[in-house]
Amino acid sequence: MIDIKGISKIYNKNKVAVNNINCRIESGISTIIGKNGAGKTTLLRILSTQLKPSSGDAFIDNLSIIKDVEKVRKKIVSIPQESSPIGILTSYEQVFLYLTARGFSFKSAKDETLRALKIVNLYNDRNRPTDELSGGMKRKMFVAMALASNAENIFLDEPTTGLDPLSRMETWAAIKMLSGNVILTTHYMEEAKELSQRIYMMNDGSIINSGSYNELLYPYRNKIRIESYSKLDNSYNIGNIYIKYINSDEMGKYNDEYNVIKKITIEDLFIMRGVDLES
Amino acid sequence: MNLRFIGSMAWYYGIKTIIRGPSYLIASLATPLTLLFLVYILSHGVLVKFAIVGGLIAFIGSVGLSGAGDAAFFRLQLRMQELYVATEIHASDYMIAFTLSYLVFAIPGVVLYAYLGTIYHLFTLFNVLGMIFIMVFLVVTTTAISFIISGSINHLRNIWGITAILTIITSILPPTFYPYYYVPNAFLYIISLSPTTPAAVLAQGIFGLAPFQINMVYIFIVEIIFYSLLARFFVKWQEKR
Repeated sequence: MIDIKGISKIYNKNKVAVNNINCRIESGISTIIGKNGAGKTTLLRILSTQLKPSSGDAFIDNLSIIKDVEKVRKKIVSIPQESSPIGILTSYEQVFLYLTARGFSFKSAKDETLRALKIVNLYNDRNRPTDELSGGMKRKMFVAMALASNAENIFLDEPTTGLDPLSRMETWAAIKMLSGNVILTTHYMEEAKELSQRIYMMNDGSIINSGSYNELLYPYRNKIRIESYSKLDNSYNIGNIYIKYINSDEMGKYNDEYNVIKKITIEDLFIMRGVDLES
Repeated sequence: MNLRFIGSMAWYYGIKTIIRGPSYLIASLATPLTLLFLVYILSHGVLVKFAIVGGLIAFIGSVGLSGAGDAAFFRLQLRMQELYVATEIHASDYMIAFTLSYLVFAIPGVVLYAYLGTIYHLFTLFNVLGMIFIMVFLVVTTTAISFIISGSINHLRNIWGITAILTIITSILPPTFYPYYYVPNAFLYIISLSPTTPAAVLAQGIFGLAPFQINMVYIFIVEIIFYSLLARFFVKWQEKR
């Protein structure tokens, strides 16, 4: 369990990256979703003791990320955003090396490495230098590190950014095999829906809403989204598209060839708050 | 100290890298061996012993300094340093693991120079032991400088240029390929900022090629401590800003 109490991070020139976040994250897969610059990575880096917060504290299994740094580091795995393997080394070598850094004996590091590589389907490629692997395979290698480590708290920062759809699905399958408390950040709505039991919507350094996918969308169960290239009254303008939210019984008014009608998703919850996810 | 991690890193990033990427080893040997050849030709063989001893110092120094590119690449591009922060290892384990990797990586080059030294009857038990100490301390110091450089930059774009400039400055300007008494004392002390200078001066003394300079022992020790402490500060294991 992760208990975040009043965490803020203010960089030089008073740039607020994380603004007084308070929340409790229970075990299971949780997703922090938000646009680029929302503060997701900063929050994750603070939780994984890589960055000191300006104020507040967080407790991972009742250990403070400020006072108990060494103990916290033994309980977490943190896979940074856009992390890449060392190309000249194989996936076996890198997972093994990582486990030795986590205090595993050589024998258990070897056993756990092979076990994890089998689970993520990299066993047959374990002796290939990682610069020969596909993007998806490289990401799966990092998930194998998390799997092999048996850590109780796993932080994955944008684990599928930049991957093609197939590689993304492969990585999702590997992430679903992780146990314990998994927190991942993403700006992909479908990823949040596919993977997480709980979603934390983040914007401008603050958590603006949280809940399961269904809980978040429940208040809008009778709404639909209309997209049009022509201006609509009381609509949101995203790029060159106008988006309007209406009750589903009003759909007939907009049902023509110029409009696209869609179901409400998490993305719409951001748009309704005036957040442009594409920016 | 996590010896399993340090040993594994040295095995994988030292030995395996030699096997899978021998071009890196050849590249780090290319400059010292070319200069050795030039010194041999230009001095008609008179200074060749200096160039063998100094070439070994230059080679070890350049291997350690090439770590600046690696350390920066690992931190800024691969994000490996962040990955390892959230483990049981400390910044010192991480840096020692790199240092040992470079030391192991340098073994084939050292063997080549040892062969050249044997041809010229350079070795005694005393000077071999002395040279081993100098090489170990030189790798420690140059790797520390690598971490200082890599920790000071926020973008990768300049690191390869900086490393190349530093490698040339620290391997050619100091008295690696010429007797240290060829340059004025004042200049010698200025270039002693580079750890290859005290290393080369001491090596020339130990091999009986030039008078032994006890001052350089003190300078070398101060540099090892100073650069190592500074590297510990610059490594950015946990960022506070």
